[in-house]
Amino acid sequence: MQDLLSLIFEPYVFVPLIFPGITVAFLLLLVIIWLERKMAAKVQLRYGPLYVLKPLGGAIQMVADLLRYLFQEPIIPKTVDKLAFILTPALLFGMAYLPTVAIPVSPTFYAFRSDLSLLIVLALSTLAPIFTVVMGWASNNKFSLIGGVREGYIVVSYEIPMFLSALSMAVLYGSLDLVDIAEAQKGLWGIFLNPVAAITMLVLMYMSTSKFPFEIPEAESEIVAGAYTEYSGILYGLVMGASYVKLYVLSLVFSILFLGGWNPVPGFMANDPLLPGVLLFIKAFIIIVIGAFLRAVYPRFRIDQAMDLGWKTLLPLSIISIFISLAEVMIMGGA
Amino acid sequence: MAVERTIRHIKALATGAKYMLGGHRLTLMYPDDVQEFPDGYRGMIEYDWNTCIKCGLCAMVCPADAMKMYVSKEESEEGKRPVRRPGINYTRCIFCGFCVDICPTNSLKFTKVHDVAFYTFEEQIFPPEKFREGVPKPQYDKKPRRVRAILDERRGIRYEPVE
Repeated sequence: MQDLLSLIFEPYVFVPLIFPGITVAFLLLLVIIWLERKMAAKVQLRYGPLYVLKPLGGAIQMVADLLRYLFQEPIIPKTVDKLAFILTPALLFGMAYLPTVAIPVSPTFYAFRSDLSLLIVLALSTLAPIFTVVMGWASNNKFSLIGGVREGYIVVSYEIPMFLSALSMAVLYGSLDLVDIAEAQKGLWGIFLNPVAAITMLVLMYMSTSKFPFEIPEAESEIVAGAYTEYSGILYGLVMGASYVKLYVLSLVFSILFLGGWNPVPGFMANDPLLPGVLLFIKAFIIIVIGAFLRAVYPRFRIDQAMDLGWKTLLPLSIISIFISLAEVMIMGGA
Repeated sequence: MAVERTIRHIKALATGAKYMLGGHRLTLMYPDDVQEFPDGYRGMIEYDWNTCIKCGLCAMVCPADAMKMYVSKEESEEGKRPVRRPGINYTRCIFCGFCVDICPTNSLKFTKVHDVAFYTFEEQIFPPEKFREGVPKPQYDKKPRRVRAILDERRGIRYEPVE
C-alpha cells in the first residue's frame, strides 16, 4: 500500500495520470461543461442546469449526463467503416490529452524534461484533428463528411499562426524547454513582453478547439453535429470531451508561455509541486472559462470569415510577433 | 476598420459580462411559482350546459377545428331526434377565442387556467359530458407561490408575489 502510494506520487506516474493528466482533465470536463451552460444561461437571463443537486445550482449535471452517455446504447450504423468509426473517438480523446505528459508542473516536478518539450506538446496536439477528418470519412454520411472537411480547412488556417506565435516566445526566451520558459518569467510575464503573440495564440486556441465563434466543424444549425453526427452513447461523450481536453492542454501551454506558469511562487515552496501546480491550474482554468464565456456572446462565423481571420489577420500578426521577439532579444540581449 | 472591429468585439464581450454579473433572470420557476393571469386572459374554456342553445356557431367559427358538435346520446334518445352539443379538442385549440366571442348566450367562457398538459392523447379531447365538468384544476405537490408578472422598464420582466 505504501509502495503503491509512493509510486503514484512519482512524477512519471503522477503527471500523466493525475495532474495535468487524465484525472484532472476528466474532473475539469465535468465542471467546465456545466459552467459553460450556466454562464450562457446567465447572459441570456435564464437559470441553466438546476435540478440535479439544486442547492449547488445543478453542479453535478454533468455526472448525470455522463451516466446517461455510459448507459445509452452506442448505435453503429451498418454502412460505416466499423474499425475507424469505433477507434477514432478513443484515439481523438487520447491524442487530445497525450500532450499533458510533456507539461511540467513545477521547476522540479515533471514526467520527463526535454530541451524540446514545447515542440513535443505542439506536435502532439496537431494529431487530434486528423482523427476528426477520419471520423467524418468513416461515418459515411454527408454531414459528417462536410464536418470533417471543414475541420481540415480550419486546421490549415489556425495551425501555422498558432505555432508561429507559440514559437515566438521560444525565440524570446531562447529555449524550447517549458521549464526554462516558465522560470524565465520570474519577473515579467510573457504576455507583457509580447502581447501580440499572446492575443494571437489565445484566439487561435479557441479556433483550434471549436469554441464559439469558431464552432465551424460541428455547426449544429447547419450540419447537425458535423463529424460527430453518427455518434451516440459513450462514443459521443468521448468526442465531445476531446475538444475541451485539447483546450485544457493548450491553456496549460498558454499559461506557461504567457502567464508565467507557476510564477509567482515563493522560493521555499518551489520544490514542493503542490502550490506551483495549483497556480498553474488556476491560470489555465481562467483561460478555459473565458473560452466557455465566448459561447454566450458570439454567434458563429462563416467558414470563409474564420479562414479570412486566420490567414489575413492572425498569420501576419504572428509573424509580427516573431519580429517583436527578435527585436526584444536584440535590445535586451536575451531574456 | 480593423480598430473599429476590435472595439466592437470588446463592446460585445463587455455587454455579455455585464449580463452575466447582473444576476437578473426572467425565468418563471413554474411549479414553485405560479403566475396570476390578468383579467381577459385566454386560458382553457368553460362550458355552461344549461344556457347552451346548441346553435353550433362555435364549431362553425373555429379556425383550428378544435371545437366540434358531438351527438349527445341521452338527449337524442329522449327527444327522438339528434341533439348536438359542443366539445373541444385541446390538441388543436389555438386559444383564439372566436368561439367565446360568437356564443350568443355566453355559454362559453375563458378561465385563467392554462395548464394544458396531459398524459395521453385521449385525455386532451373534451366531449360535451366532460366539457361541462369544467377545466381540470392543476395539481401541485406543495402549495405554489402566486406571482404576477410586472413589466419593468429597466429589467424587462419582474415577478411580484400576490396575496
